[in-house]
Amino acid sequence: MDTIDLTRRIGKMPRLFLIDAKWEGKINLTKELKEYFKKKKIKSVALFASVQFTDLKDFLKELEKNKIKVNITKAKRTNENAQILGCDCYEDSFQDKIIENSDAVLYVGDGLFHPKALLLSQIKEKKENFKPVIIFDPISNQIKEINKKDIEKQIQKKKRNLKLFINSQTIGILVTIKPGQQYFNSAKNLKEKLKERGKKAYIFIDNNINLAQLENYPFIQCWVNTACPRIGTDDIVNIEKPLINIKEAFNPIKALEEIEKWKIN
Amino acid sequence: MYNLELEKLIKEIEKTKAKQVLLQLPDGLKNRSNEIVELIETKTNAKAFIWFGDCFGACDLPLGLNSLDIDLIIQFGHNRFNKENW
Repeated sequence: MDTIDLTRRIGKMPRLFLIDAKWEGKINLTKELKEYFKKKKIKSVALFASVQFTDLKDFLKELEKNKIKVNITKAKRTNENAQILGCDCYEDSFQDKIIENSDAVLYVGDGLFHPKALLLSQIKEKKENFKPVIIFDPISNQIKEINKKDIEKQIQKKKRNLKLFINSQTIGILVTIKPGQQYFNSAKNLKEKLKERGKKAYIFIDNNINLAQLENYPFIQCWVNTACPRIGTDDIVNIEKPLINIKEAFNPIKALEEIEKWKIN
Repeated sequence: MYNLELEKLIKEIEKTKAKQVLLQLPDGLKNRSNEIVELIETKTNAKAFIWFGDCFGACDLPLGLNSLDIDLIIQFGHNRFNKENW
């Protein structure tokens, strides 16, 4: 729970009151999860959870009791240990590199949006170092594993888009006015950098980034997203127009070299 | 059940003397919005409204509320985050 005064950031705004809505039930190390670890020979895990499930004290004790070593870090954007946000999808999103020192990643929560960030954060890892993400839903007690193949489409599209960006002369930079995702100054900075590289760039501003609008600007050869980074990893699969994230736009050749190493097998 | 901390919410409305509050909930909690409105309007003098659209995170706030004189946005399901510099 938190209260934030947004006036400094965006002028006159109502006060904001955040309620994280913690799960009140107990998070148990189920018999099925224990068996799963045994079957897959998992002896250590990098543990993450969505904010509803970060009260993991008893769960940690049970893991320790069952000789599962638990590695925990803090994602740089979050305020609680082990918590993960959907935008924590880069290898440098975390304070410590705990995934490479673990047999698997264990995510406590539901849905695929957050655990997919944990796959995307391993994009630079070699095949032998890439760790699967085990999703443990403490409400239904269901277990699901996701792996490299679950982000293959995104990676291939990202690779294609980076190549198209490098060869594009006219770039559109997308900026949202949502305060938590607003990078207006970074967009202006990028525009200057692109100009120095002999490219033309235009900055587009909106509240919600509706990707259907991209078709209305046929003079743009490639787009750069400055809002939620998952637009440049997940939503690109559903659009034809090339789009990359601002993080890659400053050094697209380096980003392409890193992604070229990606292999499905 | 998720803990919606409704008592603290009521205290915050009283403390800030908010007259109009806007509730913003992720999809999984939207079906409890009516219950929260009724509670706020029964326990406080504030009027409560429900944001119809998305609620992807603390980074996803409704804008343009000035013209409606909303004093307080109450967002559920998320906590404070640290914005990164690109």
